Amino acid sequence: MSARRSALLMRIWTDRPLAFKGLVVVAMPLTILLGSLVSLYLASSAETRAEDDVRRAFAIQRDIYQVHALLAEAATGVRGYALTREDRFLVPYRAAEIELPATLQRLDIAIEDPVVSRYFVDLLQVTEEKRASLRATVELARSEEAASSEAIERALMANELTLDTVRSEIEKIQRREAVVLDERRALVDEVRRRFLTLTAVSGLVGLLGSLAAVYLFSTGIVRRVSKLEHNAELLARGERLVDLPQEADEIGRLTVKLGRASALLREREDDLRTSEERFRLVIERVRDYGIFTLDRQGIVTSWNLGAERIKGWQTDEVLGKHFSRFYPDETRDFLPAQMLERARANGSAEDEGWRVRKDGTRFWANVVITALRDENGALQGFAKVTRDMTERRRSEEALQLAREEAVAASLAKSEFLSRTSHELRTPLNAILGFGQLLEIDAETLSGRHQEAVERITRAGRHLLALINDLLDISSIEAGGAEIEPESIDVAALLREARDLAEPIVASAGLRFDLTLPAGSPSVHADRRRLTQVILNLVGNAAKYNTGGAFVRLGAQAAPDGGGVTFFVEDDGPGIDPGKVNRLFTAFDRLGQNQRTKTEGTGLGLALSKTLVQSMGGEIGYTAGQPGARFWFRLGGEAVRNEAVTQAQEG
Amino acid sequence: MAVQLIDSEEILACRILAIDDEEANVRLLANILEREGYRDVHCLTESTRALETYIALQPDLVLLDLMMPEVDGFQLLEAFSRHDAADEFRPVLVLTADTTIQARRRALALGAKDFVSKPFDVIEVGLRIANLLETRRLYERLRGS
Repeated sequence: MSARRSALLMRIWTDRPLAFKGLVVVAMPLTILLGSLVSLYLASSAETRAEDDVRRAFAIQRDIYQVHALLAEAATGVRGYALTREDRFLVPYRAAEIELPATLQRLDIAIEDPVVSRYFVDLLQVTEEKRASLRATVELARSEEAASSEAIERALMANELTLDTVRSEIEKIQRREAVVLDERRALVDEVRRRFLTLTAVSGLVGLLGSLAAVYLFSTGIVRRVSKLEHNAELLARGERLVDLPQEADEIGRLTVKLGRASALLREREDDLRTSEERFRLVIERVRDYGIFTLDRQGIVTSWNLGAERIKGWQTDEVLGKHFSRFYPDETRDFLPAQMLERARANGSAEDEGWRVRKDGTRFWANVVITALRDENGALQGFAKVTRDMTERRRSEEALQLAREEAVAASLAKSEFLSRTSHELRTPLNAILGFGQLLEIDAETLSGRHQEAVERITRAGRHLLALINDLLDISSIEAGGAEIEPESIDVAALLREARDLAEPIVASAGLRFDLTLPAGSPSVHADRRRLTQVILNLVGNAAKYNTGGAFVRLGAQAAPDGGGVTFFVEDDGPGIDPGKVNRLFTAFDRLGQNQRTKTEGTGLGLALSKTLVQSMGGEIGYTAGQPGARFWFRLGGEAVRNEAVTQAQEG
Repeated sequence: MAVQLIDSEEILACRILAIDDEEANVRLLANILEREGYRDVHCLTESTRALETYIALQPDLVLLDLMMPEVDGFQLLEAFSRHDAADEFRPVLVLTADTTIQARRRALALGAKDFVSKPFDVIEVGLRIANLLETRRLYERLRGS
């Protein structure tokens, strides 16, 4: 219980702020010192009083002696006078008459002791009697000059008796005063002794108080501050701190803060170490990049796996060697120094060129040298990252060659197309021209010849259409066709297309329907190409819709402005599902060309696909219910995915 | 042909020079022109002789093929315009199997007055020839007056 209490008190003490503790430590000895001073003052005044008493006692004694002496001398003088009648014997008597009252008055004032006072009253009385008897003796001697010596003898006897009484009274007083004086002296001694004791105790208590204060200070604060200092030193060295109790005063708070700073520092250190470790591991494991460091002179100081792989040197073979050994003979003398100088001046330097491996073979490298500087900006060395670009350089060269070849091939193709076009058209010109002349003169020909001419011109026109479509596709694929995109109002375009499409559909004995899109959407496309595709699809639908009733042309816009879908649908027999994937292939007419009724180049859909794609769109087919539905979309990127999905559904 | 500004006899009397390296095509042109009634038609298949023939004949109209071996149509167009006086209007109708827009633009830029792609429509070619000749006669009439 008491131990717990003292522990609690100690805790309360340590929790007080330092200012409070300082005040207590300074105030405690001061208070003790003040107490000592007060008691010293009291003791000193008591001593003074006691000494005064002694002095007064001495004065009383002296006066009593004087009273006795005056009376004795006066009595002696009076006797002389009585015997001789010479006046000179009266001098002591007269002096006593003058001095006695004053001395007695002084005594009256000075005497305090009640016993002495009582004696003094007796003394006064006896003294008065003595004086009276002396006065009577003097008068007797003076008046009766002839008086009997007997009378004088009696008077002198009486005087003698009175003087004895006085003497005895004085002795009583003297004895009493001696007792009083002894008492006073004893008191003074007592007071002095007490004063000495008090002084000694004060000194001792003051010393003990200071010791206690120093003890409190040293055990409480100084000890804790020194521990804290030790912790601060540990913190400065980056070591783990000693656990200290965390009191509520300034030192306690400082302890807590120091602890936090240490924890934070440790955390940072751990992070840094982890990060450094990770970084080091990464660098070491990198295989595709040679990463190594150089000192300020260009001596290799570290080497990673990638560097080993690219350059062929092992770590221990290359550490401490100058990095110029990685350069071929023709650049070794100047380029390494130049690279370091550039890195030093600009922070980093990049270069691409030939380097040599350990075995002397060359590789094409991309090199970046970075200057490493400390926080004061002083150069520490360099980091060098080397990448083996040989393969890439080779493939770039191959790519360049391929590109040139492709360009040449494209040019050749264009040239070829142009020539082919010319070579095919030139004879056709003669065939069709003469055919047309014969048709004009048809009435001069026989029926058989008329039919033959008709067949020649029809076949010639078919051949021309074939050549046109083929060359169109080829030139678009060769990039020779010019696409001139513009913003086109879809509804207006469809109305224009109707004027061209309706006669085609009508000539096949079918109804033409037009579905205009909601709102007023527009597309970004080449107007002539777009119309060409629409007419192509409409022509196909009219051509292949046998037994149906209509061909419908229309368009609809995606709600989010993601493009416009054009469609051409019919209620004909549709496409055999097994042949849908061959629809857009050139010359593949799905066997329908066997029928005598349908004629075409077999290139229409292939050309349409090429045209739509050249405008960034998609074309597709969906089986109708019944019939066929061809569609194509032009517009934004969003269209692309949707079209793919729909194509999969189809 | 709503308004006949020039007498058709006058047009049919015009001198026409047809140049094409392909014999069949030259024949076709001659055939067309003969049927229309033109009387002064000259044909040439060797383009190397084209310029001297042109200078010698001073034709009213030239029908010119573009793609020919040795000397092609473009070179001839340049040569003709170099030879003619600045105020001369001697139309050239280009007839070519080269359908590229580049060829069309180049020929017209070099002074060709009209351009028809092969294979052409016989009737259309006849009409274009008549139009060009009519324009030449009108021009000459303007200049003469």
